[in-house]
Amino acid sequence: MTVSIQREPIDVASEYAQLVGPQPDAAVATFTGYVRDHSDAHAVSQLELEHYPEMAQKVLMALGERAADQFGLSRWRIVHRYGLLDVAETIVWVGAVAEHRGEAISASELMMDTLKTDAPFWKREQGPDGHVWVASKAVDQHRRARWRSEEKA
Amino acid sequence: MGITIKLFSSLREVLGESEFEFSLTELDSAVTVAAVKSALSQRGASWQEALNQPNLVHALNHKVVYTDAVVAAGDELAFFPPMTGG
Repeated sequence: MTVSIQREPIDVASEYAQLVGPQPDAAVATFTGYVRDHSDAHAVSQLELEHYPEMAQKVLMALGERAADQFGLSRWRIVHRYGLLDVAETIVWVGAVAEHRGEAISASELMMDTLKTDAPFWKREQGPDGHVWVASKAVDQHRRARWRSEEKA
Repeated sequence: MGITIKLFSSLREVLGESEFEFSLTELDSAVTVAAVKSALSQRGASWQEALNQPNLVHALNHKVVYTDAVVAAGDELAFFPPMTGG
């Protein structure tokens, strides 16, 4: 369905209403990610998200389409922010509509796990000692790898 | 042969450039991403170090590729560290 890469905060209620439409399919799963006030090592006061616009658009479309194919989604949407974000602001929102809960939940998980490692966004945290680029996490790579065995060659 | 190079995140910051045109004079029928990296590494120690970091990601025309991918005139080649969105 659609992707939005935007500077503005995500209006979760409005996104949900648009995803579901007037007559919902049987199962709807969504995920919302927010800016935390800390990382593993220090307090975080602000987050800056850099991105590669043309590639990010293509990657998010492709992974949404993959999730839709794999789990038979009737509707899906991915929204990702860029720019300067304050603590507790929304970063990302994904939604998946399917006939059964398993498909809707798994599709949301696939979209998030793949997005974390494959979509060209980079976080830079403002902490007590200045700006720090966030390093890629092993747990994200592991979660991504779970879906790799199911990918077509 | 001219291509567009793009740098993101810490690479952009360390190297002080985000986008530039780059010509490969040693025109070969099969110029690879590795050859472009090696040519750019001649620009100095900071380039050499940044482009040879172990987890560097290469994207050719918006798709992640290995260093043996072949680059053609007009292509867009981007270098960046592992992605950390979401």
